[in-house]
Amino acid sequence: MLYAMSPEVAAYPFLFIAIFFESFVLVTLLSRPARAARARAADAATPSVAIIVPCWNEEKTVAATCESLLALQYPKNKLEIILVDDGSTDTTAHVMQQFVQYPGVKIITKENGGKHTALNAGIAATQAEFIGCLDADSFVEPDALHEIIPCFTDEKVAAVTAAMSVHQPKGILQNMQHAEYIFGITMRHSMSSINGLYVTPGPFSFYRHSVIKELGGFRYGHQTEDMEMALRIQRAGYKIENAVRARVYTKTPSTLATLIKQRTRWTSGFLRNVLGEYRGLIGNRVYGVLGVLILPGALLAIASSILLFFLALYQFTDHAVAAVSIRAGIPLSYAFIPHGSFDWFYFPANFFLLLGAVMLLASLLLITTGKRLSNTPGKLKAGFVSYLFLYGLVMPLWLLRATSDVAFGIRRGWRY
Amino acid sequence: MSLVVRNALIALGITIALMVTIAFTVNYLNNARIAELSTIEDQLSIDTLSLDTQFSLLETAPCDSIASSTTLISSLADLGSRLSYTENQLGTDNAQVIRLKQQYSLLEIRDYLITKRLAAACKTKPVTVLYFYSNAGDCKDCDKAGYALSYLHDTYPTLRVYSFDYNLDLGALQTFIAINKVKQELPAFIINDKQYYGFTSLADLENQFPKGALSTSTSPR
Repeated sequence: MLYAMSPEVAAYPFLFIAIFFESFVLVTLLSRPARAARARAADAATPSVAIIVPCWNEEKTVAATCESLLALQYPKNKLEIILVDDGSTDTTAHVMQQFVQYPGVKIITKENGGKHTALNAGIAATQAEFIGCLDADSFVEPDALHEIIPCFTDEKVAAVTAAMSVHQPKGILQNMQHAEYIFGITMRHSMSSINGLYVTPGPFSFYRHSVIKELGGFRYGHQTEDMEMALRIQRAGYKIENAVRARVYTKTPSTLATLIKQRTRWTSGFLRNVLGEYRGLIGNRVYGVLGVLILPGALLAIASSILLFFLALYQFTDHAVAAVSIRAGIPLSYAFIPHGSFDWFYFPANFFLLLGAVMLLASLLLITTGKRLSNTPGKLKAGFVSYLFLYGLVMPLWLLRATSDVAFGIRRGWRY
Repeated sequence: MSLVVRNALIALGITIALMVTIAFTVNYLNNARIAELSTIEDQLSIDTLSLDTQFSLLETAPCDSIASSTTLISSLADLGSRLSYTENQLGTDNAQVIRLKQQYSLLEIRDYLITKRLAAACKTKPVTVLYFYSNAGDCKDCDKAGYALSYLHDTYPTLRVYSFDYNLDLGALQTFIAINKVKQELPAFIINDKQYYGFTSLADLENQFPKGALSTSTSPR
């Protein structure tokens, strides 16, 4: 009876839901709308486009970001690059001035007011049909814009996201994020085919200017303005598309502390937006798969990750304490060295372990698919390994911090 | 039916199929474990009977059976280890595990009796430990005692350790417990006919062994 009441049993429903969701992503990926999106050819059409680069103390990366934009394969008379210095206190403004000589480049300097004010300042300075945003720590492939524009053929499409991966990943943490971002490429591509996206990431998301105007421009969105805008677009009944071959590379945190800070901001922003102004979307059939499946699923994923983390922590501690306890007084040379040779008989193939293995295999399949669909260059081995062994351990750290921040009303600075 | 509903139903079907496959795989592996244990037990049963018969046949030179007896105790220890693992996997109340434990206990008792007869006939002094434990949650030191005995057995391979679940429903075992007057103060040990109760440390347990019994050069004879 004790066996049946094992704490592992509490994890089964969550593992079931996780495998269901991964299966759903794969099935949707093979469905007609996703296949049609992949078959969509790059377009020769060249409507007017403005790309806004909001900057706040980005002196180290803004030049490379601008250079990648200048290398875009797009008629120069149709492309505006708007660099917005949002009251930087470093040499960002000085670095920006190097690019003022290029045709189509505009520089706006303003007092610091937050990312949404910088974006709005850029929007106010252009009449372009489509407006793109690019964080100042990101770099685009030259053909990316030709992949994005055809996604706007449907008049109901208000925004298009790109295929984001990590710029030159180094070290175990960045490689882990690289695998995670590529996993995100598959997810975004699959979910966009059923209009299930709730974030238009800072790196190279594009918007239809008329819709942005109609919706009143960007707002403060609990430090996740891109998510707030995406939710507002969805609530207004528009669609968010994805250009899976429009590759953009972004710099990511290289230390655990900065990674936790970044993800705490993202997660708390998600919770504050979704449980606040956009609560009405949750479970609402009017908003289709986003309301019925994606948003409830994302909230459940946060809750289940925290629960599984505590469960794993309890199990590990319990086993470790028991293992140390029964080995007390036994010579260390015997106690902590494995005995005997490998024998299939002792392979711990229990339900929990096999379920976890299936989930991880499905994740690896989705990562591989993302890399293939987007033609993202580089190797993934280090990313696979670090993702498999590290992600589940570190993710609960920011989930716990974010949920406690939201629960206790703690607000943190952008870079604290 | 909308595309999303159709995809959700297909995904649900895939998830259920995966779950069922995993359940069948686990069940198959557990059955394979049980089958392997049964095979080992059958072989050991034949070996024990063979040794017993050999002992009877060689009445004039019974000590020739000692080599077979030494091999048998090693197989018995391996079976015990596998049985313990299976018990952890399937639970202590699993009917097949209980049946295998009953057979295993019988084999242990028979081997112990043969060992005693051989020792008497051949004038050898094997060190034997009868270890009584409980899985019913009433023996907090049984895991420690079991691990300490595993260590002693692995370190001194000639040591003969026989483990018995005190609460196992088996007539022969209950008789064995009654004959040896083992009290329900677990863990309980009978080290070369001397009773010892409780487990405090490896050193205390080692002190209960006859002098010189615990050395790597200990001979079974």
